[in-house]
Amino acid sequence: MALIVASVAAMLVSWRTLGAPLRPSLDFIGGTRLQIERDCDVAACDDPIDLAVVRDVLADQGLANSSLQLLGRDREALSIRTAELDVDRRTALLDALGDSVGPLDSTALQIDTVGPTIGRQIFRSGLTALLVSFLGITVYLSVRFRLDYALFALVALFHDVVITMGVFAILGLVLGVEADSLFIVALLTIVGFSVNDTVVIYDRIRETSKINPTQGFDNVVDAAVNQTLTRSINTTLTTTLGLVAIFLFGGETLKFFALAMIIGFILGAYSSIFIASTLLGWWRERSPLPLPEDDAEPDVPERDRFEDGPDNKAVL
Amino acid sequence: MGRQRSLLALILGLTLVAVVLIVQTPARLGLDLRGGSQLTLLVKTTDAVPTITPEKLAAVQGVVENRINGLGVSEAVVQTAGENQLLVQLPGVSDPEQAERVLGGTAQLDFREQQRDTSAQVLGALLDDRRAIEADESLEASEKQTTLQSANVAIATLFEKTELTGEMLTDAYAAPVPGGNNWEVILVFNEQGGQAFADLTKNVAGTGRTLGIFLDDTLLSAPTVQVQYAENGITGGRASVTGRFTTEEANELAIQLRGGSLPVPVEIVENRTVGATLGQDSIRQSLYAGIGGLVLVLIFVAIYYRLPGLIADVALIIYATLTFAVFALLQVTLTLPGIAGFILSIGMAVDANVLIFERTREELRAGRTLYRSVESGFYRAFSSILDSNVTTLIVCGALFWLGTGLVKGFALTLAIGVLISMFTALTCSRTLLLLVLSVPSLRKPELFCPNLPPNLPKNTPSTP
Repeated sequence: MALIVASVAAMLVSWRTLGAPLRPSLDFIGGTRLQIERDCDVAACDDPIDLAVVRDVLADQGLANSSLQLLGRDREALSIRTAELDVDRRTALLDALGDSVGPLDSTALQIDTVGPTIGRQIFRSGLTALLVSFLGITVYLSVRFRLDYALFALVALFHDVVITMGVFAILGLVLGVEADSLFIVALLTIVGFSVNDTVVIYDRIRETSKINPTQGFDNVVDAAVNQTLTRSINTTLTTTLGLVAIFLFGGETLKFFALAMIIGFILGAYSSIFIASTLLGWWRERSPLPLPEDDAEPDVPERDRFEDGPDNKAVL
Repeated sequence: MGRQRSLLALILGLTLVAVVLIVQTPARLGLDLRGGSQLTLLVKTTDAVPTITPEKLAAVQGVVENRINGLGVSEAVVQTAGENQLLVQLPGVSDPEQAERVLGGTAQLDFREQQRDTSAQVLGALLDDRRAIEADESLEASEKQTTLQSANVAIATLFEKTELTGEMLTDAYAAPVPGGNNWEVILVFNEQGGQAFADLTKNVAGTGRTLGIFLDDTLLSAPTVQVQYAENGITGGRASVTGRFTTEEANELAIQLRGGSLPVPVEIVENRTVGATLGQDSIRQSLYAGIGGLVLVLIFVAIYYRLPGLIADVALIIYATLTFAVFALLQVTLTLPGIAGFILSIGMAVDANVLIFERTREELRAGRTLYRSVESGFYRAFSSILDSNVTTLIVCGALFWLGTGLVKGFALTLAIGVLISMFTALTCSRTLLLLVLSVPSLRKPELFCPNLPPNLPKNTPSTP
């Protein structure tokens, strides 16, 4: 709870200073980003690129309020974020930079230009994807389990998404980390994985409550969480291992993409246990379901399937 | 045991086929990995053309393709995207300055008259030259572009402009030649255009000189006019261009003509360019990341789950092989986010195994026999695996249908990975595990679960 409040606070601070809850990348608001690298085969580049020189060039071109960032081990690469540039202005800028900081390696050039219309479109489609998947998950869980199961899973999902956004709001304020379209992908993946964790526990709750229908729902939830705890930890660990590998070796583009998912997956494991399941237990204790409805379980009970004998394939 | 054998044979066969597929099909790398430029073009509406229909978009696509051809970039791709966008991919282009200058703007279609002091032979020779340059694979893109340009200029000097331009063309379509196998392209002009066309055809009819149809200063077609039109020209505002056209050729020309007659401006709204060396760096880095992640996971699973863990490792390697084979089979273009999706799907594949093995351990601890524990581990984990994978697939679906370029790649690789992981976890792991259980010396519960309670299941055959 405290974390959610802190996250919302971070986004509000970000809103006051940056005009958006997270520092938006040019993917969403449009603009141009150039990444250049000096060609060290042609010119001696013993000193790192002098940012003051670059700022002078930018000021000459009327692009004084662009942001700069040195990249690479030897500070040989430079990332420049400006307003949207058309071909002529971009070529002029690149030529001027080549003259002042030294010849540039044309094979190491990276250009990202996004027009404001396209940016809004990317943002809208990302947001729609997020909402559609929320809806799809709610519907699926309502069918496979029950509506209240689905709603508590949704609460857990909001928790994960909000806190991940909060962390990136802080990263945006402190380190200038931007939220790009990959960030939306990360959020969606977090949603997928977090609901995954929740579903595994729900599955156990359903199974346990069927074997012991008389047991209090609180106890059922406790037992289910305990039984799936090792699995939750191990799965989060193995998935995070892959992500840590991307975070460490995956290069600039994927670094924060991986970080967002590492944060989100750990939150997802946490929220499945302490939010979705706990809330479900609390809710069912307060308003237990009448028994007949329990029989109308839409799904084939797990035990029936098992009793078909070992020749009944569980294979797809 | 017969069923197990055939399953085992199936898995082995699939893996072999997969390896062959991977070796034979070169990986299709996205522009962010191989270097290149991707431009998104927005087709704008005007007062004259208030809506962009799919047909109009296709016509503009024809125009853009024509412009791209002039750039000399090999394997360039133009696709439609959404209602009013075109996606242009230019592999290997590090600085798309030229492309951007050429691609923007409104199409210019016009009809020109071949100059009086030139002959059809000269034109024919120049056209042959241009074809040779276009087909020449050995030329660098920039070289090819300059030579193509000078070839086009040489062709254009043979013609002089007339007043007949694209706006006067109201339609162009392909139709089969009556009573023949060939196709022709029908041109329909408005009133003013019909008059201009009649004048133009009157001038060139029967002289052996051609009338040139130019799109963006590049000659599309140079038909001659038969001598019977020398008196009045082709009147009535309709004409057909015949030649030995196949259906495709006729359609292509018709589309380019329609596109050229559309007064819609094209604007570049997105430009994503990655230099070739940057792309190579990305490949190396993501390769390290992928292999690093996989090795860490394999070690963890083997240590934690012991014998089944080792089997899961084998199943995971089969999983990775099969997934890459499916990528090759479906011609999935691998991008950076796509590789991330694949690495994530390894996590999903492990999850299925973890669910099964945890279940097996529980059954063992509850005092069941080894065989029974393994079997029920698989059965009981199934519904969890299904539910969790379906939810992931829902998210992938949302991403794929609503997402743009890079996002789609991620969703696709993750979804393929999840589907294949269902197969490998439920079939490969299970078959291999049952195979191992048939070896008496490996039939020890402690290989499956540490710290079992001392009252071991009675009917476990723990001695060979």
